[in-house]
Amino acid sequence: MSDSYSNVNPCHMCMPMGSVLAFRGLESCMPIFHGSQGCSTYMRLYLAHHFREPVDIASSALSEKGAVYGGSANLKKGLKNLIHGYKPKAIGVATTCLAETIGDDVGQIIREFQQEEPLARGLPIIHVATPSYRGSHEEGYANALQAIVQQTVADLPPRDRLNRSKLYRRRSNSSSLNLILGTAVSPADVRYLKSMLRAWGLELDVTILPDISETFDAPLSPGLSMMPEGGTPLADVARMGLSRQTITLGGRFQESSAGAYLEERFGVPNTVLPLSIGLENSDRFVSEVERATDMALPREYELERGRLLDTMVDVHKYLAEVRAAIFGDTEMAIGLAKLLCEVGAVPAIVATGSKSPGFIEAVRSISPGSKALAGVDFSDIQAEVKKSEIEILIGTSNGRQISKAERIPLVRVGLPCSDRVGAGRQLTIGYEGAGRLLDTLANTLMEGDSRR
Amino acid sequence: MGIIDVFDGREDHILRKGEECGHLSCNNESLAGAVSQRACVYSGARVVLNPVTDALHLIHGPIGCAAYTWDIRGSSTSGPDLYKTSFSTDMGELDVVFGGEKRLASAIRQLAARYRPPAIFVYSTCIVGVIGDDLGAVCKSASKELGIPVIPVRSEGFRGNKNEGYKAACSALFELIGTEQYTPKGRYPINLLGEYNVAGDLWMIEPFFEEMGLEIVASFTGDSRVKDIQRSHTAKLNLVQCSGSMTHLAKMVEEKYGIPYRRVSFFGLHDMAFALRTAAEFFDVPEIVSKAEEIIARETARVRPEIDAHRSRLEGKKAAIYMGGAAKAVSLVKGFEELGMSVVIIGTQTGDSDDYKKIARIVKDGTVIIDDANPLELKELLIKQRANLLVAGVKERFLAYKLKIAFCDFNHDRTVSFEGFDGMVNFAREVDISVNSPVWTLPTLRESPLTQIVPEERIREARPQEARANV
Repeated sequence: MSDSYSNVNPCHMCMPMGSVLAFRGLESCMPIFHGSQGCSTYMRLYLAHHFREPVDIASSALSEKGAVYGGSANLKKGLKNLIHGYKPKAIGVATTCLAETIGDDVGQIIREFQQEEPLARGLPIIHVATPSYRGSHEEGYANALQAIVQQTVADLPPRDRLNRSKLYRRRSNSSSLNLILGTAVSPADVRYLKSMLRAWGLELDVTILPDISETFDAPLSPGLSMMPEGGTPLADVARMGLSRQTITLGGRFQESSAGAYLEERFGVPNTVLPLSIGLENSDRFVSEVERATDMALPREYELERGRLLDTMVDVHKYLAEVRAAIFGDTEMAIGLAKLLCEVGAVPAIVATGSKSPGFIEAVRSISPGSKALAGVDFSDIQAEVKKSEIEILIGTSNGRQISKAERIPLVRVGLPCSDRVGAGRQLTIGYEGAGRLLDTLANTLMEGDSRR
Repeated sequence: MGIIDVFDGREDHILRKGEECGHLSCNNESLAGAVSQRACVYSGARVVLNPVTDALHLIHGPIGCAAYTWDIRGSSTSGPDLYKTSFSTDMGELDVVFGGEKRLASAIRQLAARYRPPAIFVYSTCIVGVIGDDLGAVCKSASKELGIPVIPVRSEGFRGNKNEGYKAACSALFELIGTEQYTPKGRYPINLLGEYNVAGDLWMIEPFFEEMGLEIVASFTGDSRVKDIQRSHTAKLNLVQCSGSMTHLAKMVEEKYGIPYRRVSFFGLHDMAFALRTAAEFFDVPEIVSKAEEIIARETARVRPEIDAHRSRLEGKKAAIYMGGAAKAVSLVKGFEELGMSVVIIGTQTGDSDDYKKIARIVKDGTVIIDDANPLELKELLIKQRANLLVAGVKERFLAYKLKIAFCDFNHDRTVSFEGFDGMVNFAREVDISVNSPVWTLPTLRESPLTQIVPEERIREARPQEARANV
């Protein structure tokens, strides 16, 4: 409740959760939480429910002693053990409320560890501050992405110390692009982007950060590697400061931004676009890549775009004036709202649990009549649903209680999706993702009609 | 060289029955960086208390602790469902800096007015322990103001492992017990402790106690109401199932109210029969004893054919058990015996040395016993012990699947009830459909006419020991 002292059924998660979604998108990167054992176990459980994959997150397993005298010894021991056990190529250290409150200087502990421990020589250990009381998982994700870039590209001389003309020459010759992704993209979404770029002939020129296409949706193969394959290689991240341009999809409502950091420090222009959900948002991304590379979208994707239009025409009557309530991560909610508007449906409620300034204005700019809610919980959303004659719910599986209580179907999109299979294979972005979403929405409504 | 060598400092936590006579180290802090499967104090308290269906469960802390524990557990209700709603004070930075007591007091007041619960449990989280909010004082004054029990649960995550959380929950329940007068309906009132009604387990066993003429005053805590807990001091016997979580409470109740307790399990035909007999023999009334025997004979005969059908497909298969608590693990060993399966790995998150002595007595030579395992060790052991099935919780499920090993969820997330006579049929079926599924025999590698890739199966035949570990 917005006027309340408590949260009733949360529509957001905590910051360290976001950091895992970012760190797990790096090649062979093992996350560790500096805090008590429960945080890592709970988030492993939550992510296992969603992705249906083994998700290992280490913990410094702070005890009472650590909480009183500082957790340095535990963190060092934890790092040592996880290097020994998992042999990762990188480590992501995220703090929890406990570590932040007792005031451990994690950067300093890591520097000491890297000096003391031969195993850690040359091993990148990225750290990020993610106290749960300071923001949602979306902030944790953005903080982690910025930390990854900041601590990996840090070796390059900053912009003001570089010879400007030399840098400019290098950059204008550079064909590389950075593609930084916001929260709520699925492994299937990243795979879609990669195959599109491959068809475009750009797969070697674009660094996607983070790349969870394989790490959170690994094929069953002989033998099991405890560090899943895939992920953005850190060597690629290290070169992001030299790219010609960054395209950031999503992430408009968080203070931290890896793209903004690269622009500010290395002069890499950062173009921020909404997550590519729906026709216009997909068009904007495609046009931006064309502009940056001077290469036209491959024909097969033009055909796909045409098929999306065809789908939109096919479903427009089923979805016309249908009133929907959308909830979940900021950019996902806004992208879905846009998609609904494009086919004549009504995003009557667009809600997020993150307390993101700018979200409400962004919703209004797409759909002035929508009830936009930021920083809310599911009790707030339910109260709005009750008075808004909603016909369909679109969002995370945590909307299931409202769906049951109000007898409104829920189409599951985003994280978490703990009570249905296939979250890792759910495609929502691009022309194809939009088409599939529209099919699902229309079919869900038809299913309801046929039961009546 | 140990059985497996994954982490320094973990050697004492793993032993093989028959080969080593060492002492198993247990019930201590998890090794940092080893990815323990354990959770925290809060988690222990939460699993025990949350099934109290009409109570308001308020988590005092930042959002995470509430977000990950909201309505994902399988404890069912026959009525009120307030326990499925998540309540958190969702502390922000200012609360951390200036203290969260005022926010907590206001939250309690506001939620009590809105939901009118018969009692409120207030859980503390890590951060509350560090900033030093006086939970006790806030709860005491709220209780006085509201006229309902507002009970602090001291569950700061870092104060120990899950066992400490169980104790915190037991202390909270103990505060409620005896606060309402009640006259039991008959002469044979009992409580069930450590029965969480996961997937409706309680409803699979309740009818038999009723048939015997026994009244279940309170089930701790599956499908319970606050008033059941308050009246539970009027029972004459406590049957304790999940001993890890509830023995502490049983002892406190015995001391204060003189109610004796007996350890039982409702899983497996053997243990279920034993549980009914234990209750009957306690009251030592001929009609109850003969009724118990009648039920056991009747029900066993009824479900036997179906269980035997599954058994015929499962005999000789090897099972691995990794449970939170030891009581379930012990019961599972007997359960697998009833299915003709052997146990090759057994472990728990929170067993103590008595538990492990008991486990060591009942498992066969060669079985690996492990305390506070982690994914790396489980992986190595599952391969080395050539397990056909892992019984554990969701975190372990996908590890088993990636190793192409069948899985059965025996934790709070399961949706199939396993207790009582029909529960054993369900269990046998669950194990059977996973172990004997055709998915495990699908070729992991396609035999291509163009390449020389040797299919995995052939490699395994050639080098049975290392093949699964190394390919």
